Order: sequence, then C-alpha cells, then structure tokens
Amino acid sequence: MDTILRDFLKFLVKRPLYTTGFIIVVAFIIVGCIAPYILTKPEDAWGITYDLSRAFQPPSLEYPFGTDAYGRDMLNRVILGSRYSLIIAMCVIVLALIIGVIVGLVAGYLAGVTGTILMRITDMFLAYPPLLLAVAFASVLGRSVLNTIIALAISWWPWYARLMYVSVNSVKSALYVEAARVIGLGKFTIMIKYILPNSLIPVITQAMLDIGSAILEASALSFLGVGVPPPIPEWGRLISEGWVYVSKAYWITFFPGLMLLITVVGFNLLGDAVKEYMNPRLRNIAAKR
Amino acid sequence: MPITRTYLVKRILLLFLVVLGVLVISFIITRVIPARPELLWVGLHARAEQIERARKELRLDEPIYVQLYYYLADFFRGNWGISWRTRQPVILDIITSLPATLELTITAFTLAFIIGVILGLVAAVNYGKLADKVISLISIIAASIPVFWLGLVLQTVFSIWYPVLPAGMRVDPSLVIGTGFKPITNFYILDSLIQLNIPVLLDVLKRMILPVITLMMYPLGLTIRMTRSMAIESLQEVYAKALEVWGLPRSKVLYKYILKNVIAPVIASLGLSFGYTVTGALMVELIFVYPGIGYYVGMALLSFDYPAILGGIVFVAVIYSLVNLIVDIIHAWIDPRVKF
Repeated sequence: MDTILRDFLKFLVKRPLYTTGFIIVVAFIIVGCIAPYILTKPEDAWGITYDLSRAFQPPSLEYPFGTDAYGRDMLNRVILGSRYSLIIAMCVIVLALIIGVIVGLVAGYLAGVTGTILMRITDMFLAYPPLLLAVAFASVLGRSVLNTIIALAISWWPWYARLMYVSVNSVKSALYVEAARVIGLGKFTIMIKYILPNSLIPVITQAMLDIGSAILEASALSFLGVGVPPPIPEWGRLISEGWVYVSKAYWITFFPGLMLLITVVGFNLLGDAVKEYMNPRLRNIAAKR
Repeated sequence: MPITRTYLVKRILLLFLVVLGVLVISFIITRVIPARPELLWVGLHARAEQIERARKELRLDEPIYVQLYYYLADFFRGNWGISWRTRQPVILDIITSLPATLELTITAFTLAFIIGVILGLVAAVNYGKLADKVISLISIIAASIPVFWLGLVLQTVFSIWYPVLPAGMRVDPSLVIGTGFKPITNFYILDSLIQLNIPVLLDVLKRMILPVITLMMYPLGLTIRMTRSMAIESLQEVYAKALEVWGLPRSKVLYKYILKNVIAPVIASLGLSFGYTVTGALMVELIFVYPGIGYYVGMALLSFDYPAILGGIVFVAVIYSLVNLIVDIIHAWIDPRVKF
C-alpha cells in the first residue's frame, strides 16, 4: 500500500494539473476538519448574532469576502461552510456505498428471483434523473442536515448497486470461489469472505471519484431551499441567501460559489488522475509522447 | 438496420414497467413517508372539512394496496391534484409550461453535443499538446461548475452590470402586444417563424442566450471528455495507424473512420447528460424567470406546493425514461454490434 501511494505521488508530481487538484482536495479536507478552530469571528460564522450597521460591506481588507445582509463576515461563513460540505458529502457517499454494496452483493451472488427483484428495484430508482429524486425526498422529509444526507443517499445508492452487481458477477465464477464451494463452505461465508473483498475495488474507486458530485448536489439541494436550513452556512445555502441581493451585493453569492467550483474541480482533477493512473493503457500512450 | 419489431415491443413494454416503478416510488414519497399525507394534497392551511374530504378522496382509511391502485389510476386519468400556488390542475400547468422547457433544453443539449464532439476530437488529435490541455481544463471546469452559481454570475454581469442581454421571461410583453404575436404551439421560436414575426424571434433568441449557455455547461463537459477519451483510444488502434501509414491525411482518418467509432458511445451517454440538463433546467429557469417546468417545480419548492412538486418531478422522470429509450434505439441503429 505504501509503495502504491508513493508511486501515485510520483505520478502526480509529473503532472502539474493533477497536482493542483490534489493540493485543492487536501486543502479542502484540512480546512473542513479544522474550520471551527480557525474562525476569527465565530459568532458570524455560526450566524448567531447580527449587526445591521455593517451589512452589505463590499470585499475589503477587514472583510475579504464582504458581509451579508445581516452584517456577517462572509469569509468566516464560507470557511465554516466547507465543513458542512465535507461532512454531508462523506456521509452521503458512505451511506450510499453501504446500501449499494449490500444490494449489489446479494443480488449478484444469489441471482435467481431475489437477484432479479433487487435489480428491478434498483432500476426503478435509476429511472429518475439524478438529483430530482433527492429533491422529491428532501421536500417531503423537511430541511435538516440529516435529511439532506438521507435524501441524497437514497438517490445515490442504485449506481453503486449496479456497479457492485456487475463486479460480483465477474468474480463469482472465479476458481477460488468454486474451490470454496467444493470444500463445503456456506453461501453466506463465501459471500463475505471471498466475493466481497474481491469485488469491492471498482465500487470504492467510483465512490471516491463521486465526492465532488456529492458536494455539488448537496449544495444544489440547499440552493433550492430543501437542503440544510438557515443559519447553517453550507455553500449552496449561502448562494441562495445572496440570490435576492445579487444586483447590489454580488460578493454574497460570488465567493461561496467560487469556492464550490474550485473544490469540485479539485476533486474531479484528482479523480481523473486516479483513473489515468489505474488505466495502464492510457498511461502508456501518454508515456510515448 | 438490425432493429427488429420484437426489440421495439420489448423495449416499450419495459418502458411501461419503468413508469410503474417511477410511480411506485412517488407513491412512497407522498403517501407512505409523510405522517399526514392529506395535508400534502390540500395544503397546510386547509380547513378541517377540506382535510376530511381529502382523506376520503385519497382513500387514506383503506389498505395501502387499494391506495396504490387508486394512485396509479388517478395518474393515468390525469388527476394529479390542484396546485396550491396557481390553483389550477397540476397536469394543465405542466402541459402549458412544457414547450418552454423543451425549447430551452433541446437547444442547449444540441449545442453541447455538436461543440463537445468537435472540441473532443480536436483535443484527441493534439493529445498531450497545449490545445489538448486547454480543452481538457475547459471540460473539467464545465463539468464541475455549479449551474445555479454560473446562472447568477452571468445574469449579474450581462443583465445588471452591462445590460446587453435581457434576463427573465421568454419574450418582451410589450413586443407581443405591439406586433400582435400569438402563441399557437407555445414553442416561441416556431410560433414567431410561422407568423414571420422577426422582432419577436430575435427577442426570444436573445433571452435564450444566457439560460442556454448556463444549461449546456454540464453536458458539454461530459461530451468533450467522452469524445476525447474514445478518440484517443481509437487513434491508437492498428487500423488508424495503418490508414495513416497508407498516406491518408489525418483529418480524413478522423472524419471518415474515427468519428464513427466515437459517436456511438457518446450517443449512449446522451441519456444521462439529458438527465443532468433537465435537472439543471430546474435551477436555470428559476434564476432566469423562464416560465417552463423547471420554473414551475422550483417555485413549487419555494412555496411547499406538494402536488406541483411531485407532479412535475414524476412527469420529468417519465420523459427521462422515454428519452433513454430513444437514445438506446438510436444507439442500436448506429452501432450494429449492440445486442438486443
């Protein structure tokens, strides 16, 4: 594992664009983790107090990202917002991964009627355009961080179930699975001990590549007013709060959106790097040039 | 043309099953999850007797499978409830706003496809060079940009700071009265062309520029990435090398041979990018006050108008399934290797 990581970093260093993506992602995760401890105006960030006398201040040295309609410092709010984006995206991916892996594993290994029913249910969920299903669930569940996570995970797991199903199907005819069956191991044991670990890699990789999209979709939900409630400074929420004032105070929407864009670009660049690193054919073409 | 009638029949039956699935999920969302589903139907401020009537109408006292049966029957009969906001039947609202959304999404989608394929091919031919790097960066940014933010930024810059492009509405109302423009099909481009009403046509197009640019970003990014990676792989194939060694100019190899291999998988991915385009329309139409289905559902979300939210979303999901069916058929028609 250590050598793979070192090899990957060596691969990254030679490609400035991918390195940039890597740096963005690392910075985002660090800021997200330590956000509450580096705030200069915590009461502004959490949105507890307001001071109308300093409302709508344009970006300046004191307020690099300006202030919002309640006189809160936008920089502090944006910093704290990164934490929410990080937590929500991570929870969505992990929850979707757990459901998707279980459904895909059971459907793929048991096949037959159970498998068909499980995969048809998966298809039902996939019939909705991405995000719209989450919007529908979120609108009924009500606004909260937890409900945002649930709504997004519900619309997300079918992709992983599909991927897992395909992966399990390619693994289950392998010789070692056959051998395990011949020596008399039970279905459940084979599934957990042999099929699961050997079919997990593609799904986990895809899940890591999806973090950027999860951040984007969570903020879209908040922008539409069905995600996290105020005064939580999630980035989509901040953009939606500044929307009404966009003609007189562009900075309220501009900076949270810019941070969102940079973060998602970072995750997508890193995703491309991982994809290229894992696809030897693509790498060989690149090496020849 | 290897598309058989059995294939078509099978796919259409499958479509029917998918629509049923979509409805079952929306039934769970509206009737099973909420504690008091009747409130979603008549509104939070309804009077007691209205709520009582809604309970009867939705048959909430009967077993769940009976409720599901009537839910499906209501859907196919077109009884999708009354919007709290517009006080009109939801299905009527949706049908009136459909043309606006179709006009917008089809334009954005077609432009994204054409520009995306061209840029993707240019990047692939110049693989590793500056042009490739620039195009790749563009595609990554296009696929990562939050549509709602881009919409707001474009609106601020081009409608407020430098008011060169009007934002909001599909056409200037005073122009409609002044020139006697009558919407017939509600596809304004078509309508103004039929009536040879050039001022209205120009105004309609002008008002579409910003929403279309915003909306096309995601499918554009997706198409560039797809085309580029497919073309790079195809250019490495032995036949492509052979043709070049043969002395065929690269442009001809690209146009006559590579394009065919690239286009099929790109078309197969169109269904998904259509899904992202309609979802984007939800936010783009809301920002640009463009009265289509996206605007309708968006306003419904902001005012907790549940019949309209669910009606709109289910309708879009059905359209999405239909588009996926069409994409699959086109894919099968273009690429004879696709098995049925």
